[in-house]
Amino acid sequence: MYAPPIQRLITELGKLPGVGARTAQRLAMHILRASPQDAAALAEAIREVKERIGLCEVCFNFADEPRCRICADERRDAGVICVVEEAGDVIPVERTHEFRGRYHVLGGALSPIDGVDPGDLKIGELYRRVSDPAEPIREVVLATNSTTTGEATALHIADTLRERSPDVVVTRLASGLPVGGDLEYADEVTLGKAFAGRRRL
Amino acid sequence: MTGALKTEAVVIRSLRYGEADRILHLYTPHRGRIAAIAKGVRRSKSRFGGRLEPYFRLHMVLYQGRSELLTVTSADTITGYPRLREDGAAIDSAARACDAVARMFETADPHPGVFALLCNELALLDAGAGGPRTHATHANQLAFRLKLLLAAGLAPQLAGCASCGEADHLVAFSGAAGGVVCSACEAGGFALGEAAHAFMTGALGRALADVPEADELALRQAERAISETVEHHGHIRLRAASAR
Ligand SMILES: [Zn+2]
Ligand SMILES: [Zn+2]
Repeated sequence: MYAPPIQRLITELGKLPGVGARTAQRLAMHILRASPQDAAALAEAIREVKERIGLCEVCFNFADEPRCRICADERRDAGVICVVEEAGDVIPVERTHEFRGRYHVLGGALSPIDGVDPGDLKIGELYRRVSDPAEPIREVVLATNSTTTGEATALHIADTLRERSPDVVVTRLASGLPVGGDLEYADEVTLGKAFAGRRRL
Repeated sequence: MTGALKTEAVVIRSLRYGEADRILHLYTPHRGRIAAIAKGVRRSKSRFGGRLEPYFRLHMVLYQGRSELLTVTSADTITGYPRLREDGAAIDSAARACDAVARMFETADPHPGVFALLCNELALLDAGAGGPRTHATHANQLAFRLKLLLAAGLAPQLAGCASCGEADHLVAFSGAAGGVVCSACEAGGFALGEAAHAFMTGALGRALADVPEADELALRQAERAISETVEHHGHIRLRAASAR
């Protein structure tokens, strides 16, 4: 139906998450109508991000230097590590302005059924970081998703750290009701956890 | 067949899809395994809350259009097995149990007994979570699989030699023959000790809550017997029954 170069563009766009065949066609039409400069800027941005961005050697967040900006920032508390599943999870935690420590990006969550075992994530690197005497760690905050796989990952790490580094405090983000969420819609496990974690006002 | 489908279901798998959706694999009593999309469920204000996570047992209403993928319209919790979720070994066992059901019963054929068995297994894992009477064990997982084999009509023959009917000298197991075999027929099988044989017979005959004990060697042999039976007769490969 389309000339091969257009079809190729549609195929590539269709591989993006959340983009179906129709959306891929619309995006391709948009790019075709765009000025040569705008289209070249998009292509160049994609090329540059793949060339210049790698993973931080300490925390495995995205970085354009050997260390990411957060690991390179001397004002951040090096004694507290917040563990997240994906690099994209760092941004929402940063936006809270509640956390002044550093991060550790696992690269996913444990799921033995999908063949994701501890060796497939940056879990060993986390244990080494926690037990490295050069930079003593006081607390590890487990901020993996509160999905079943996220919980399994948090439990696994907490168990291992209790054994390997008993002096380090391991905490888990409290889970409860979303702000703006109706009690009526809360599922029973969430509501149960919200009850267990209730505090005095 | 389009319209609303009301059913009980256990969420056996949940995959992220698009911006905020999830694709669910559900196991139901009368429609076997079905796939459904839950729209917007990953938004924190979703009316589904967290109840579409794996291992929730739900009353569901699903809309069936022309596509094979149904759409979740509503979901009410029967139980979320909350204690199971606080115990890493129990979560791991629940995942393996759901995976075994998904692989062995992947069609829409109704198997209400399998649904009941899965709910029973999740309830046991929940009840024993974090305590000394945990059911998150290799033996429990194998007993569960043996009962699935029985439900699938693939239960291995354990009473006599699967090749010649001989009742004594049952020293090996043959997936091809579909059961234990005697010393004369043992070619093509592997050595199966008395303890493994007794474990399998006991596990098939008793309730899941009451699985017989066996040492790790016997359990490994029993696992191999189960795996070879499903591979040979069901053409299905099961994942390992335990993390170790
Ligand atoms: Zn870093
Ligand atoms: Zn024989």
